[in-house]
Amino acid sequence: MGKTLYVLSSGELKRKENTIIIEGSEVRKFIPVETTDEMLIFGEVDLNKRFLEFCTANKVMLHFFNHYGYYQGTFYPREHMNSGAVILAQAKHCLDNCRRLLIAKKFVTGSIENMKKALQYYSRRGNIELDSIIEKLTVFSNYAKEQIGISELMGIEGNARDCYYTAFDLITGGGSFSMKKRSRRPPQNRINALISFLNSMCYVTTLAQIYKTHIDPRIGFLHETNFRRFSLNLDIAEIFKPIIVDRLIFSLLNKKEIQAKHFGAQSGGGIYLSEKGRPIVLKAWEERLNSTIEHPRLKRNVSYRSLIRMEAYKIEKHILHDEEYQPFAMRW
Amino acid sequence: MLISENIHIGGTLIQSYKICSRQVWFEVHKIDQDQENDFIMMGRLIDRNSYQRDKKSIDFEGSKFDILRKEKGTLVVGEIKKSSHSIDAARLQLAHYLYELQKNGIEARGELLFPKEKKREEVLLSEELKTHLDQVYQEIIAISSLEAPPHAKKCKYCRNCAYNELCWS
Ligand code: SF4
Repeated sequence: MGKTLYVLSSGELKRKENTIIIEGSEVRKFIPVETTDEMLIFGEVDLNKRFLEFCTANKVMLHFFNHYGYYQGTFYPREHMNSGAVILAQAKHCLDNCRRLLIAKKFVTGSIENMKKALQYYSRRGNIELDSIIEKLTVFSNYAKEQIGISELMGIEGNARDCYYTAFDLITGGGSFSMKKRSRRPPQNRINALISFLNSMCYVTTLAQIYKTHIDPRIGFLHETNFRRFSLNLDIAEIFKPIIVDRLIFSLLNKKEIQAKHFGAQSGGGIYLSEKGRPIVLKAWEERLNSTIEHPRLKRNVSYRSLIRMEAYKIEKHILHDEEYQPFAMRW
Repeated sequence: MLISENIHIGGTLIQSYKICSRQVWFEVHKIDQDQENDFIMMGRLIDRNSYQRDKKSIDFEGSKFDILRKEKGTLVVGEIKKSSHSIDAARLQLAHYLYELQKNGIEARGELLFPKEKKREEVLLSEELKTHLDQVYQEIIAISSLEAPPHAKKCKYCRNCAYNELCWS
């Protein structure tokens, strides 16, 4: 498996023979292209067409973020694992309402189950106020199973998530990271900024893993497909957000690794994770993705990053009528 | 599913058939193996570094031969393998090449090469082998026309198979 590179500094990204070079005013870094899978670009970098062609040839994906750390888009090299049979099967499952609902429901219920797992961890440690939230989530999960339309299902997903977010203040103790309410575009407070930032990390990580399989990230099931952007990665990320993103947030805050000083105010309103906070969060994120758990069927340790790829493989098998998709469920 | 009327049966398909029918289905449906798989990478390296002197990777009607040379007037087709782990599959694959050549009026004999083990083995196309191959072709076509891939079954090849993650995720 290749590496993920986080480019935080500014400068120029270039190709030099078979190497990627990052050249800034003070630094010059060489990165072997063969061992690089994706680059997350936060700094102000200049690059040219020759560099993009080099990335395509080596299947290196580039994700761009703006000054405030918001996701802007991805340079997605041309597909290299193309299978007409898989794409047709995927489209068929997307167009057929019954089949689409079946998969979409699994994303929602799988996601809610993992939210419950994230809360149960703290409930077991004596935070009994969480129990009523966990109960409500069970109700939402059952309710989701009965829905017959995608938009209704999306609605339930949203309700479940709102309910789940009320647990955050109970876990983190509120304070300067009090959540009150989930706000996006732009996030209105620190915890919302942190959630948004890490959720977008989860989306791009999932996109890069889907790229290694045969399925098409533009065809989603829960999130609307419109071919102008990726949607299947949003679907699959639902399963992993509670497990990877939210648990990381709790740990970063409870250990005080991330503090109020790591955030800034945006000129047009909104709060964002500052340049000082970003490296801390990204380092922890990368560590989390690389940590491993034992995979019950493969009988070996796999990283969370690989687990995301395998979720994409499971979708592939489902649409090929090979094996019904069962979302990954955290065991503890 | 998306299969053109006549699937072309190439050497890799014959080899896969011996290993696992699910692999055959994946290959016919252009579901490529995981290119980052260590075994594939190793295979490529061995390919590149061994037997540099012979002419390599020659295309013949969609079949790829590793080595092709003349020896005392007879054509010799050589196949390089990274290990004799799946020797049965390799034998059948080579026999298939010889059969294809024969159908085009070219008589040849085959040689299996295992550079890492410093081993070689001769393969001759017998009538028995030909009947067996004809059967195999029929079965491959039958597998290919299945609506869904045959179910994954754990076998001794799974561990080193490049479809490992797909099958056991
Ligand atoms: S992993 Fe096992 S079941 Fe799957 S294709 Fe390979 S040999 Fe067949």
